[in-house]
Amino acid sequence: MNYLNFALRLTIWLLLTADFGLVNLAIGILVSLLLPQGRGGVATLQQWLSTLGKVAMAVPRAYIEAIEMMVRPHRHEAIVREPVDPTRAPGLIFLDIFTITFTPKTIVLHYDEEGWFEVHQLVERRPEK
Amino acid sequence: MTAFLVIMLLILGIPLYAAWKGEHIWSKMLAFASIATKAAIMILLVSVQRDDWMIGIVGVIILSVGNGALMLLAQILRRLRDVANL
Amino acid sequence: MILQWISYACISFGLFLWLWGTWPLVGRRSPLYKLHFLSVSDTLGSMAIMIGVLLRIPREWPLLVLALISLALWNTILGYVLAYCSQGEDTDG
Repeated sequence: MNYLNFALRLTIWLLLTADFGLVNLAIGILVSLLLPQGRGGVATLQQWLSTLGKVAMAVPRAYIEAIEMMVRPHRHEAIVREPVDPTRAPGLIFLDIFTITFTPKTIVLHYDEEGWFEVHQLVERRPEK
Repeated sequence: MTAFLVIMLLILGIPLYAAWKGEHIWSKMLAFASIATKAAIMILLVSVQRDDWMIGIVGVIILSVGNGALMLLAQILRRLRDVANL
Repeated sequence: MILQWISYACISFGLFLWLWGTWPLVGRRSPLYKLHFLSVSDTLGSMAIMIGVLLRIPREWPLLVLALISLALWNTILGYVLAYCSQGEDTDG
């Protein structure tokens, strides 16, 4: 069972209907279980929780980075490569890309199947080549 | 509230100007993406100001379906460039 | 009353981010450079404005929260797709 899929579907259902009654909750659980499941790697609940925690932490960090960009101008660009475990579940990799791109100083350019992110960064000083 | 809307309209002029002037296709795409989001948020603020949630629903729908068209267009542009470079 | 002022502060902060992040669009930098600033203005600024709106009409919170989440998701993914599609432009053209 894919935890993220299930949680996402149930959340969207509850927010759409805006009704937290028992019957509606049961219908939501049923619908999100019955909808066709995508295939993908399996991840443990612990991995999901730690990745979701990182996503939650990305929101305040994004605002901090935005203020940093305002106070000290970042005029230069750099491309770095970051390693990532290629056996991670696709949903987790999606969340990783989301976290990196959500923060304003960094954007993922390309995900390499062999386990690399190409990350585009704004930096304060010209990078030494 | 009206003051906020006027400021938003003025800010909306910046990407419009960029889209009109932009000689570079990707700058235009960026400007259009920016216009789409800003217009949806403006719809929300208009609905708050007029206290008419019906308008707000439109804004929420626009925000939640997102702009898939722009993503498709970006993919097509990339493909076109790849084909042209062959 | 205090909520009202917090809401005004949120909207003003969001508008400031909008202005600051949209301004580089007219400059002559690479699209990737502009994309960083757009992610400040369109994602973070719009989220701040939406939180301000949420504080004003809390009775509609389910739809507003849905819009908030999908705004963050879509804008970020659009940024990723645009970055992925526009890369390599500077080297070959």
